[in-house]
Amino acid sequence: MSKKYLRLTSNERIQHLNLLINFSILVITGFALKYPEAFWASPIADVPLGMTFRGFLHRLAGVAILTLGGYHMLYLIFTGRGRKIAVDMIPGLKDAKDLWETLKNNFFINRPAKEIKMGRFNFREKLEYFGLIWGTIVMTVTGFILWFKEMWLMFFPMWTFDVARAIHFYEAILATLTIIVWHFYSVIFNPDVYPMNWAWVTGFLTEHEMEQEHGLELQRVKAEQNGKRVEFTETALPGSGRVIPMPKEVGDRVFSFQRFYGAVRNYNESIKCWVGN
Amino acid sequence: MIRREPEFHHKTRAWMVWIGIFIPALLTLFIAGTVLGADNSVCFSCHQEESLSKQDARGSKVSLFISEAELKNSVHGKLSCSDCHVRIKDDAHAEGGNKTAEKGVNCGVCHRNAEKEYHQSLHAKAIMKGTEKAAHCFDCHGKHYIFPQKNSKSMVHVSNIAKTCNRCHSDKEFVKEHALGTGPSPGELFKESVHGLSGGATCTNCHGSHKLSSLIDPQSSIFRSNIPQTCGACHPDITKHFLESIHGVLATRGRSESPTCTTCHGIHGIKTKVDPDSPVNERRIAMTTCPQCHAAELISKEFRLTTSPVKSYYDSFHGLSYRGGDAYSANCASCHGVHDIRPSSDPKSMVHKDNLQKTCGTCHPRASENFAKGKMHVVASIGGEDFGEKVVGWVRIVYILLIACVIGGMVFFNFTDWLRKTIERRH
Repeated sequence: MSKKYLRLTSNERIQHLNLLINFSILVITGFALKYPEAFWASPIADVPLGMTFRGFLHRLAGVAILTLGGYHMLYLIFTGRGRKIAVDMIPGLKDAKDLWETLKNNFFINRPAKEIKMGRFNFREKLEYFGLIWGTIVMTVTGFILWFKEMWLMFFPMWTFDVARAIHFYEAILATLTIIVWHFYSVIFNPDVYPMNWAWVTGFLTEHEMEQEHGLELQRVKAEQNGKRVEFTETALPGSGRVIPMPKEVGDRVFSFQRFYGAVRNYNESIKCWVGN
Repeated sequence: MIRREPEFHHKTRAWMVWIGIFIPALLTLFIAGTVLGADNSVCFSCHQEESLSKQDARGSKVSLFISEAELKNSVHGKLSCSDCHVRIKDDAHAEGGNKTAEKGVNCGVCHRNAEKEYHQSLHAKAIMKGTEKAAHCFDCHGKHYIFPQKNSKSMVHVSNIAKTCNRCHSDKEFVKEHALGTGPSPGELFKESVHGLSGGATCTNCHGSHKLSSLIDPQSSIFRSNIPQTCGACHPDITKHFLESIHGVLATRGRSESPTCTTCHGIHGIKTKVDPDSPVNERRIAMTTCPQCHAAELISKEFRLTTSPVKSYYDSFHGLSYRGGDAYSANCASCHGVHDIRPSSDPKSMVHKDNLQKTCGTCHPRASENFAKGKMHVVASIGGEDFGEKVVGWVRIVYILLIACVIGGMVFFNFTDWLRKTIERRH
């Protein structure tokens, strides 16, 4: 029996999917302008009106991400879960300590490696979240300058436009590389989660995953489930998930109807919990 | 026979016409048939034999058959053979053992002006230098069966000129032998050109006919500085615009670096601007046509023009989108004009500061006065002259450092993390 813990509600997963799609569109359509001769840009550059459509799509996806950002802010303000996320996201001294200890682990200064218990959002996630907010603000401001150049240039000299172009480009590189290096390591290439952390699809983390990356949160959730309030006064069960029984292991057989049935039942259970809580 | 002066000759012909009415009439009464061609009959007694031939100096067979009917149809049908073949030098025609040294036919006897022009031509000069195969009169006009220029059967009829010239100038052997250049022949290129396809112009329109001369000859119609006038014969408005442009002014003064019509449009293979192969197609203007000079050392040193406008254009939104194939994005000509390109200091220039708002406004209708101010063709550099260039240069440096530190740090951190976890799993 292994427990599952709700990580992302369906609402949050859709937000993530929305960001994923629109961010990808922005990256592809944006760099297709900067590197029009690149091989991967040929589906855009070699099609009649491709570049015109590219510009339209880039603006559309930009507006979509801005809308998503606005929605996310409302979500953080007007839902209980959102407010909780906002509170849990506040960086603290502990995050710096966790980072420091992780570094010591990684350099084998701590021998054996120290088990670090991190909260609901660990330092990796907080860094990324604030990076995203920063990036969105910078890209939105400079993007709108580039879009509404006639209006901007009524009041500001031409060189500000050139600066906006430069910032928009370099910030795009920074954002894209951050996703590839930081985010993809966290959720894909990290040996603890490889081949992938499926929370963005299923919404749940396994107990093992919780132990590794959110030990403190796991403790809190368990204590809460045991009826002991640790440090939070809310009666809701944030972050807790429905317990889904797993089928028993059946020897070394790779496939069995029992396992298959168990998997289907599991999936059904997840669908029932789709809305979270 | 003695040579006759042309004026005299014409009188002679007029006189012959009168006589030709009476004498033949009289002669027909006495001698049946053979009256008008009286002196040709002697020639045709042999030369109407189709198998008549001789061996030339190289030993190859040359037919000596002349079709009497065809000759009669030609523009020279009324002349007698001996009007042109004043001396025939070989043994067969030797008269009393006197073999003459003179070449057979001299067209200049009658066509004096044409001959005078021809003697200035490249063909004549080549012959004087000893080139055997350079064009004589008969190479372009034909020999016995010459028709007036207006006749569509004529070798020099406007529709046949390209064919006539191509007999030599598209012949690979000939071109190679005479070092007339490698690559596609002018004829091949011309056939696909707008002039060739429309039939609006032919070789002689630009090269001239009898007087045709080398492009290094300042008198030539295809000499650099004369090209705008040559093209202007058919395109007068464009030539007028061009001659007022900076390119035209400098070309007229003889600056060889300055472009003329052919620099941008091509030479024999000129195509319409909608043709994607045309150098003035909108897809190629900013990729190859303008940069062939403006991105080249060629002019940058002598004229103190930098190549940065091309480079900065390629990095600008206009240039980037253009490179990606955007048909609406501005290229060089969108802002600088086409034939009437002028320096920005010229008040008539499209890029003069007073006209910029209008120029930008063609694509950006809401462009304000402020919109058109400020430096275009910016090259980001911390050492740049323009304040904006400096700022952008610094932004670039700061951001590159930021990216290097942040992403580098992340890569490093993740790598150590991955290494530890992998090592731990080994046990």
